[in-house]
Amino acid sequence: MISKLLASVKKETLLLLRDRLGLSILFIMPMILIFVMTLIQDSAFKTLNEKGIPIVFVNEDKDSLGILIEQGLKSNDLCAFYDSIDGKPATPELAKKAVSEGKFMVGIVIPHGATDAIRRNVTALVNETMEPGSMAKNNSTAIADTVEISILIDPVAKKSFLISITSNLREFISEVKTKIMFQTFSDQVAEIIPDRSNAPKHVFAATQIIQYKEIYASGMGDKLVPNAVQHNVPAWTIFAMFFIVIPLSGSIMKEKNEGSVFRLHTMPGSYLLLVSGKIIVYVIVCLIQFLLMLSVGLVFLPMLGLPVLVLGNSFAGIFILTLATAFAATGYGVLVGTLASTEQQGAIMGSLSILLLSALGGVWVPTYIMPEVMRNISAFSPLNWSLEGFYKLFLRGAEAGAILMNTAKLMAFGMAAILSASVVNRIKRTI
Amino acid sequence: MNEASIIEIQNLTKTFKHATEATVKGISFCISRNEIFGLLGPNGAGKTTTISILCGLFPPSGGQVIINGKRLSDHISSIKQIIGIVPQDIALYPTLTARENLDFFGHMYGLKGRELSRRIDSWLEKLGLTDAANRRVATYSGGMKRRVNLIAGVLHRPKILFLDEPTVGVDVQTRNVIIEQLKEINKEGTTIIYTSHHMEEAEDFCTTVSIIDDGKILTKGSPAQLIARYPGCTNLETVFLNLTNRKPRD
Repeated sequence: MISKLLASVKKETLLLLRDRLGLSILFIMPMILIFVMTLIQDSAFKTLNEKGIPIVFVNEDKDSLGILIEQGLKSNDLCAFYDSIDGKPATPELAKKAVSEGKFMVGIVIPHGATDAIRRNVTALVNETMEPGSMAKNNSTAIADTVEISILIDPVAKKSFLISITSNLREFISEVKTKIMFQTFSDQVAEIIPDRSNAPKHVFAATQIIQYKEIYASGMGDKLVPNAVQHNVPAWTIFAMFFIVIPLSGSIMKEKNEGSVFRLHTMPGSYLLLVSGKIIVYVIVCLIQFLLMLSVGLVFLPMLGLPVLVLGNSFAGIFILTLATAFAATGYGVLVGTLASTEQQGAIMGSLSILLLSALGGVWVPTYIMPEVMRNISAFSPLNWSLEGFYKLFLRGAEAGAILMNTAKLMAFGMAAILSASVVNRIKRTI
Repeated sequence: MNEASIIEIQNLTKTFKHATEATVKGISFCISRNEIFGLLGPNGAGKTTTISILCGLFPPSGGQVIINGKRLSDHISSIKQIIGIVPQDIALYPTLTARENLDFFGHMYGLKGRELSRRIDSWLEKLGLTDAANRRVATYSGGMKRRVNLIAGVLHRPKILFLDEPTVGVDVQTRNVIIEQLKEINKEGTTIIYTSHHMEEAEDFCTTVSIIDDGKILTKGSPAQLIARYPGCTNLETVFLNLTNRKPRD
């Protein structure tokens, strides 16, 4: 039995080593994939950060609110500030047209009298406080003085991206508005109470009681800053490992086409024994793939100025999860190879199903932004089990114990696929 | 079962899924130990189906097969250990060398170590392949591939050897080498079941011949007996044409 298994492993290894194109697909293509995907994602954000988001600003206010927002936008690296369009001063109409044509991603229009409106509202509020009843008389004025700042949005821009940009803008504008309100309030109070010797000098600054500090709730403390490398390397590594389905099913189909499987079926030994050599070799291939792809994250991507991949705290966990992922991918490859009747069928069935499982598994789009139905379905993708496990290890800094369930699911999937392949093979031969 | 028989087939039938007609229609015959048994028939007669059932490639739809005293359906694994097959199509890995192919198939039959190496060397020498042993099979000529294909089926010294047109498409020299080696194997105690369209070769090589057509056995006997049995027939080919008619088959 062992001798047969070793012979089978030797045969598979030789077949693989002599298939140079297959080897390049197995090892070089996934590395290129990680390079390209990580660089694209990283450079996309980098470009935006370096050049800034093109924003056209229309300041019809010409007072504190407009001036402060303008200063803020100019000093912010996130924005590329423009107040003219094709050499003409920006107007609300021109800005809207330019944004709709995609010349700018965002446009901001501060209406005429916006600062005045804020001041009038604050003054009315102070008067109402000091002289109850006066506000009721001027209520209509207060409502009419509502300030409406327009944020124009390029309809082509992705919604998720815009939500993040506009909420930042809103937060900033709101801060400026509050600052003006406090300043007006402070001035009004000073008029009512002339002795200003005890008045606070920086009223607005004094109100900044609550501050925000973003801390990643990871077991890795300061070592971890989530970035494109940290997300992409595990995701595309798993994707590439599962793509082993294509060469593996191709190898099974080749045996069928070349006739060697005919001889194998006339020999003593079960189907499981016949495929176990393939399983062992391709699991080892997956492990080598994984090491190569880690090396991309650890060595090659940092050479290009990208952050280094942080592996987390558990090397044992990484090994166990990689082995389970490799086993699941290989088992699935055996099933596809057994199900398919031609090499083309195997390639199409394998690649499409992996694309589907990877999309569902969160490789392309994170599962947390999927609708609930898709999120529920994604829980059945082996790529999701693996990806979640690697995120636990690489991003959350979890120990090996945390990924045991992911490992168990992947192993069960691999086992079920191999047993199903055995059943399919028996059914196919009962012709 | 007759003690002298190594294979006994009783009322064997095979109807493939979705087929309207049976491919093998209740055939029965025995093959004696040490025989060279020729199963001859035109294309589509049912010979490859019969041999595939005997090799355990797929089960029959009906009937019984007893090989070496054991029911095939109950002892398929142990029966596979004592049979060898040389299929018509080359069943080798083209990117492996002849030696690597034989080493792998030898291991699959439970051979290993020096004994396996000795057998491989011996067979490569017998069939004139020693110098090419370490070349990939893909680079071989058709005749060389066929010789390696034969070695892969006999390396484990099977009690029963199935040959499906072992000499198709080879030159006279290779054909003679193959036939000579098969006769040697038979002398050493291997029963040979052989199919071919080459009637002259079958007449010279087989001790018993059975002609099959349309899934039924038409006749059985030694080549000499069959020639004598059908008046006007001077050789096995005329017997064959007499029984299966001259109309070309698909």
